[in-house]
Amino acid sequence: MVEMISLKDIVPAAQNNINAQFILLDKGRLMFEGQHKTCLALVADNTAAVHFQLWGDECDAFEPGDIIRLANGIFSFQRNSLVLRAGKRGKAEKVGEFTMAFVETPNMSEIRWVPDPNNSKKYVQEAVISPHSRIFPPVL
Amino acid sequence: MASKLIQIASHEAENPIEVSLREAFEFLQAQLRPPFPLKIPTPPEYLNLNRAILYGIFCEPHLAKVHIKHLHGKITDGYSFFTNTLTKVVNDLYSKLVDLAKIQLIWVTTEMVCVSAIGIDGLLVALLRQTVSGDFSEGNLWLCSELVSLFWAKWDCLLEEEPLVLTSALYTFLRLLSDHYRLSSNSKLEVLKQKEIDFCVRMLRQQFHLCLKIGRDLVRILQDLAHVPEFQAIWKDLLLNPGEFKTKEFHDISQLYLSRTSNRYLLLRITPEMEIQLRFLLTHVKFGSQKRYQAWFARKFLCLPEREALVIDIVRFICCSHHPPNEIIQSAIIPRWAVIGWLLKSCRKNYVEGNAKLALFYDWLFFDERLDSIMNIEPAILLMVHSIPKYIDMTHTLLEFLFLLMDNYDVERKDKIKHGVLSAFCMLVRKGVVHSFDSLINCDALSPYLKQRLGGLFICMNASVSKELQPAQAVHSLNLPKTSSVETQNNITGKLRISRAMKDLSPCP
Repeated sequence: MVEMISLKDIVPAAQNNINAQFILLDKGRLMFEGQHKTCLALVADNTAAVHFQLWGDECDAFEPGDIIRLANGIFSFQRNSLVLRAGKRGKAEKVGEFTMAFVETPNMSEIRWVPDPNNSKKYVQEAVISPHSRIFPPVL
Repeated sequence: MASKLIQIASHEAENPIEVSLREAFEFLQAQLRPPFPLKIPTPPEYLNLNRAILYGIFCEPHLAKVHIKHLHGKITDGYSFFTNTLTKVVNDLYSKLVDLAKIQLIWVTTEMVCVSAIGIDGLLVALLRQTVSGDFSEGNLWLCSELVSLFWAKWDCLLEEEPLVLTSALYTFLRLLSDHYRLSSNSKLEVLKQKEIDFCVRMLRQQFHLCLKIGRDLVRILQDLAHVPEFQAIWKDLLLNPGEFKTKEFHDISQLYLSRTSNRYLLLRITPEMEIQLRFLLTHVKFGSQKRYQAWFARKFLCLPEREALVIDIVRFICCSHHPPNEIIQSAIIPRWAVIGWLLKSCRKNYVEGNAKLALFYDWLFFDERLDSIMNIEPAILLMVHSIPKYIDMTHTLLEFLFLLMDNYDVERKDKIKHGVLSAFCMLVRKGVVHSFDSLINCDALSPYLKQRLGGLFICMNASVSKELQPAQAVHSLNLPKTSSVETQNNITGKLRISRAMKDLSPCP
C-alpha cells in the first residue's frame, strides 16, 4: 500500500516522491512548451490547494470536478513558479468525480520556501505570499 | 477474441468491477467451452464462474447462448449472485459500457426475467433509473425503447412474479412520456411514444389496484399528460367515474392525494450517479463553498436546454428522499432549501419552473401530520423565509404559486387542499421549523395581496387548531356524492387553468 500524503504536507524537492489524491478545481489556458501542450490547474484536497501542471494529453483528459490520484509526482520549481506535476516518472489517473471535499487555502504554490538553515537540502516555509491562488481566485 | 466491456478514457484508472469480471473470465476461459467440466465448484469457484460467464455474455455475443446454457446448468442460488452482479454493473458502469455490451445486457436481463431470477426486480429498477428525463440522445431513447418493449413482452410473467416492478415501470414511462411529448416528432420517436403510451394505458386500465400503490405522485405526473388524447379519458374517469377502474377500494381521486408516495418511485428518476453527487453536496459541502460543485453538477447533468426537465425530479428527490439527520441540519453544511433555490433559479423554461414549484409544494397540498413527514415540506418554507432579505422575488413567486394551487389545483376538492396547506403551516410552527410567520406577514416588500391572503389563512389556522379536523377519517368513509357534469367541467377547466397559470408565471430573474 502506497503512503498517501496530504497536500498541506508537501515540500519542494527534486524527487518524484509524492503520492496524493485531490480534486481538480480549475484549469488555465492551454500553452505550448516546444511541441508539448501544458496547462496550469488548481487542485486541492481537504487540507490545502496547490498549482498542478498538466502535460501533453493530460491537458484534455482532466476536467474540473475530476478526482485525480497522483503516483510518484514531483513538487518543484518550473520557471520560477512552484508546481506539482506527474513528471516523467510519475502518473496521474482519474479515479472519480465530484465527491471530495476541498479547501482553497493554504495554497502550497503561494508560499515562499527557503532552504532549511540546518539542512541545506531541505526547504522550509518562510512566508505566505497569498492565502489562496492568485491565478485561480476562489469562486464565491 | 473477447471485445471490451467498457470504454476507458486516457488517464482513467481501471474500474474494480470490470477488473474482477475480466480476470475471472481470463482465468476460467478454457472451461467456458463445451464439453463443460462436470466437477461441482466450491463456493468461491462458483462465484468466479458466475463472473466469468457474465463477462463472456457481454464480450462474446456470438457465444452468448452457449454461456447462458452453461449458466443454467451450473446455477444453485436462484441466479441471485449473477443478477446482483448485473445490477452492480448497471449502477456503476452503464454509461461506460460499449454499445455491444448494452445490447447484451438487455438480452441477458430478459433471460433472467424468464427464469424468475432472485433479484430481478432490483435489476429492472436499476435499468429504469438509467433512462434520463430530458435526455433525447439516441442512446437514451434506445434504452427507453428496449425497456418498454421488455416490460410489454414479459407482462404476464412480471405480473405474476414481481407485480410491484410494473408500477415502477409505469412511473418511469409516464414521466418520460411527458418529456417525449415536448420533443418535435420524428418517426422513430413516434414508435417509442406509442409503445410507452400502450404500456401505461394497459397498466392504468387493467391493473389500477397496483397503480394505486404509487400514491399522490401518480396524479402529479399524470396531470402533465392530460393533453395527450390517450390519457384524456383516463383523466376524466379519475375525476368523474372512479368505478371505471374496477377497483373496489377506489372511490375518489383524493384517496391518491392522501397517500404518500414511497421513495422507491422518486428515486427512479434520478440516476445513481446524480444521487451520489446530490447526497454528497447535501452532506459534505459547506454553505458558501457550493459554487464549484453546483457548476460541475450543472455541466454534467443540466448542460443542454432540454435537460432542464430534470430539475423537477431533483426537487422532488430532495424534498422527499433526502432527509438529513439533525447533526447535518445544525451544521454549516448547505441546507436543502438553498440547493432548491439554486435549481429553481436555473430554470429558463416556464413549464419546468412551474412543475418544479409544484414538486416543491406537492406534499403541502395534502399534508396529514399522521402520514406525512415534516421533512417533505420544510424546504419550501425555509426557502421562502430565507429569501426575504436578498431574494424577495423568490418568496413572492413561491407564495403566489402556493395560493394559485390552493385556488385552482382541484376546485372541487378545494377544502381538502386548504386543510392540507393549513396543517402544513401548523406543523411547521409547532415543530419549530419557523418560530412564526411574522417575518412573512410583516415583510414590507411583500405585496399587499399576498399579505392579505396570508392573514386570512392564519386566521383559519388558529380556528382549525382548536377544531382539530380529521381528514383521514373523511377518506375512509369516502362515498362522495356523484358530481354533476357541470361541476366536473369546472374541475377539468380548473386543472387546465393551473397549467396555463404555470406557463404565465414569470420566471425568476
